[in-house]
Amino acid sequence: MSARQHAGRRMGDHLILAAVMVLALLWIAPLAWVFALSFKPNAFLAQHTDVVLGAPYTLKNYTDILGTSSVFRWIANSCIVSVTQTLLTLVLCSLAGYGFARTAFPGQKALYVFVLAGLAVPEQAVVIPLHRLFADLDLHNTYSGLILPRLAAPFGVFLMTQYFKAIPKDIEEAALLDSTPRWKIFLRIVLPLSIPAQATLGIFTFLTAWNDYLWPLISASKPDMYTLTLGLAATQSNFAQSEGIGYLMAQAVFAGLPIFVIYLFFQKHIVSAVAGTTVR
Amino acid sequence: MAGIQLVGVNKRYGGTEIIPEFNLEIESGEFLVFLGPSGCGKSTLLRMIAGLEPVSAGQIRIGGQDVTASAPGERDLAMVFQHYALYPHMTVRENMAFGLRNVNVPAAEIDRRITEAARMLELEGMLARKPIQLSGGQRQRVAIGRAVVKEPGAFLFDEPLSNLDAALRNRTRVELARLHQRLKTTMVFVTHDQVEAMTLASRIVVMNRGRIEQMGTPIEIYRKPATRFVAGFIGSPAMNFIDAIPVAAEADCIKVRLADGTELQTGVPTQAARKDAKLVAGVRAESLTLDDASPVRGRADVIERLGERTLVYVTLSNGHSVVAQAHRESPVASGDLVGLHFEPEHVHLFDEAGLAWHAA
Amino acid sequence: MCICLMKPGLPGMPHKGAAMTTTLSALPAAARASSQPKVKGVQHWSNALFVLPFVLVYIALLVVPVVTGLWLSLNDVDVLSGDRAFIGLANFARLWHDDIFRGAIRNTFLFVLMTTPAFVALGLALALALNRQDRVGTALRTIFFGSSVLSVTIVTLVWRLVFMTDKGLLANVMHSLGLASINPLTSSALALPAIALVTVWWIIGLPMMLFLAALQQIPEEIYEAAAMDNAGRWRTFWSITLPQLRKTVALVAIIEVILQFQLFGQAQLMTNGGPNNSSRPLVQFIYEAGFQQWALGYSAAAAQVLFGLMLIGVALQMWISKRGQTQSGEST
Repeated sequence: MSARQHAGRRMGDHLILAAVMVLALLWIAPLAWVFALSFKPNAFLAQHTDVVLGAPYTLKNYTDILGTSSVFRWIANSCIVSVTQTLLTLVLCSLAGYGFARTAFPGQKALYVFVLAGLAVPEQAVVIPLHRLFADLDLHNTYSGLILPRLAAPFGVFLMTQYFKAIPKDIEEAALLDSTPRWKIFLRIVLPLSIPAQATLGIFTFLTAWNDYLWPLISASKPDMYTLTLGLAATQSNFAQSEGIGYLMAQAVFAGLPIFVIYLFFQKHIVSAVAGTTVR
Repeated sequence: MAGIQLVGVNKRYGGTEIIPEFNLEIESGEFLVFLGPSGCGKSTLLRMIAGLEPVSAGQIRIGGQDVTASAPGERDLAMVFQHYALYPHMTVRENMAFGLRNVNVPAAEIDRRITEAARMLELEGMLARKPIQLSGGQRQRVAIGRAVVKEPGAFLFDEPLSNLDAALRNRTRVELARLHQRLKTTMVFVTHDQVEAMTLASRIVVMNRGRIEQMGTPIEIYRKPATRFVAGFIGSPAMNFIDAIPVAAEADCIKVRLADGTELQTGVPTQAARKDAKLVAGVRAESLTLDDASPVRGRADVIERLGERTLVYVTLSNGHSVVAQAHRESPVASGDLVGLHFEPEHVHLFDEAGLAWHAA
Repeated sequence: MCICLMKPGLPGMPHKGAAMTTTLSALPAAARASSQPKVKGVQHWSNALFVLPFVLVYIALLVVPVVTGLWLSLNDVDVLSGDRAFIGLANFARLWHDDIFRGAIRNTFLFVLMTTPAFVALGLALALALNRQDRVGTALRTIFFGSSVLSVTIVTLVWRLVFMTDKGLLANVMHSLGLASINPLTSSALALPAIALVTVWWIIGLPMMLFLAALQQIPEEIYEAAAMDNAGRWRTFWSITLPQLRKTVALVAIIEVILQFQLFGQAQLMTNGGPNNSSRPLVQFIYEAGFQQWALGYSAAAAQVLFGLMLIGVALQMWISKRGQTQSGEST
């Protein structure tokens, strides 16, 4: 490659990078705009939404959230639902994954195919029967009602089974020669080795539960039982009449910031969880 | 210490028979090596002894007890795996202690055994480390230590040296030989490397396609390979094979005509061999030397100078290639015409069934 | 990436539960048992206890609802009285003639057609540009992926503010350019494209990451060989990178089709299907029929249509990933 070609390629690299940077600015512009304006008084915003930098500033929008809304109740609900669902999913899927990957029982293969077939079922195809079932059991507007349906998703079983299958078998065989009973092999050898997969599945389950919209919308009709995601939808419903733009913006920031900060901390795990899991 | 008996052991996967009826008696205290190419069934056999692979039929006895239906942990065995199979989340000490705790060995006894094994294997400074913090050779020693602390009736080794580099492999080989001298415990070792087998074994079982080709001491197997397969598998460089036709027997020993037309007097007694029309003559490089007076002639094309000896690759007049040995300072050069001298007492003949006949 | 849902089963595999517990010496021939090629120890019923808890939940909350849903779709259900009548395929016939439903199908397909090419093209472009191991690459990847972690309600809230009539960010920009401002969410021509734009903004990170993962699988030596062969940037892209990514492109496309078919929250929250039904997707139709008009059988029937469309998508996905595996032999 000649020196001129080389220089030309370098130039091209810089141009592409510059273009992507401009695109990135456009990408965060909506978030930055909402973030900046959330610190301005509502009265000011009624006149100007184009002045982003400079006075006046206020924290009133945020103190209003703290003072008036049910947002803390919703956050608590979201935490309870997401954490419980995550823990239960990890327990169920680890057990099942180990059973499918590392033990043998009659009918195992057929049962695994039967479980994986569930991957093709979209949530929307079962919400109506599920709604009826939970109505019969009187579980709507309860935590159980919010938590239970997603426990049936076979994805985690698939993920854990694949992971357990990839753990070298000779480690388990060494444990067998060390006179280790089956349950102890699972608890002491296999489970500790599967922590990366547990992290992936845990993060994925938590995010999905936290951001879930359709099922809470159907199951939780009382504002007391709203999750944060659902609660935010409710405050938007009278968007048109709302004069408090700053208040809405503050709500968006307030609700989005925690999950975004978590994302910045666990970015690597989250990316691999989401990217690795969508390809079901 | 325990002897191991395999009685009519058979292994099938679905309809295919991997190991046909297999009988073997491993004596207490011996170092027995299963040697064979990959896929010959040697690892399966070892895993059946360990209880990791169900036996389709037959019986396995360890120390006189029938263990065919026993769980792996109940067989009083320790195994060193090819990839070591250390528990990655446990320290070296925990790795060694795990199996002992499972069978309720008292803590003081566990400590004593670990200390002793660590001293013997030079692992003293590493007991608190995790496997990932160790080099390949150190991991290997931990795997051996984990087996040693169990003080088992017999050790099983599944190609334990195949993941080490050449220098470390030689060193560990010597360490294993020392370990056996010291513990005098039965050891069963699986490998495809004939050098490991020759150097470690008190007895070698050469396997091919699930069957025993030959069983014997390393020297017996080297000197008198029972079949053409064993002859070709053992020894480096591999034995030369030349097609041969028996001609009228002279005196007591068979005389053959080699493929290039020259005649060769062997040391194989006439009455021993079947009268097959076609034979194969086999001779190792060390018994095939350069001799300008010999009627067997060819052209030297590649010369390998190994230091202590020189290997000469010779193409015979019929195009057939053989390897001969010359003195380390032999003046032979590529392109030279050379004569080849066969040592009659080291020429083997193989019949059409592959069975060998040796000089008396 | 791994899609190995349907590996062909081993034909005629016998289940021999008691192979190991029999002592073989007495009657070797009778006790001979064949075992699986990949032995996982002993087959035993008790091992099924590991999978039992999940399987019970799975049957109760997924299998039974799927069957009930199919049954409901063949019935006319009155929620208030609890009456139910079997009406065969009448719900499906009604759907066929329902203009709102047909509109929803049309909108859904349009939406998929708008978003999927954008996800593939933009995702690939970003992955190519950001496939670099420095801080700039990391920071930019963080930005483009970051919005994916936000919930749909936050995303719609932000973008409704951006699209606000006269006061939104979009209106501000158009004013400063001297253009008349519009709110695309109030225009039947622009509502669906606006929702598509928001969706691409929201979850472009996913295809980008999938492409990045695939790019990192391409061995560096191929690029070095191409450089030695004097291949320029475009030549390298067309002749080296793209052929290597063919399977990923197909996979990303089909994944996005499957995901975008399930459009609901963005449309329901930003336009509620309007204006003039121009942005109502299929899932919103199911939701409204089921939970606002309480026409459960009718809604279930619409859900079966969605289910069928998704099954086609999933079948395609498996076909592609399997074909890729056998063709290139790469392990995925």
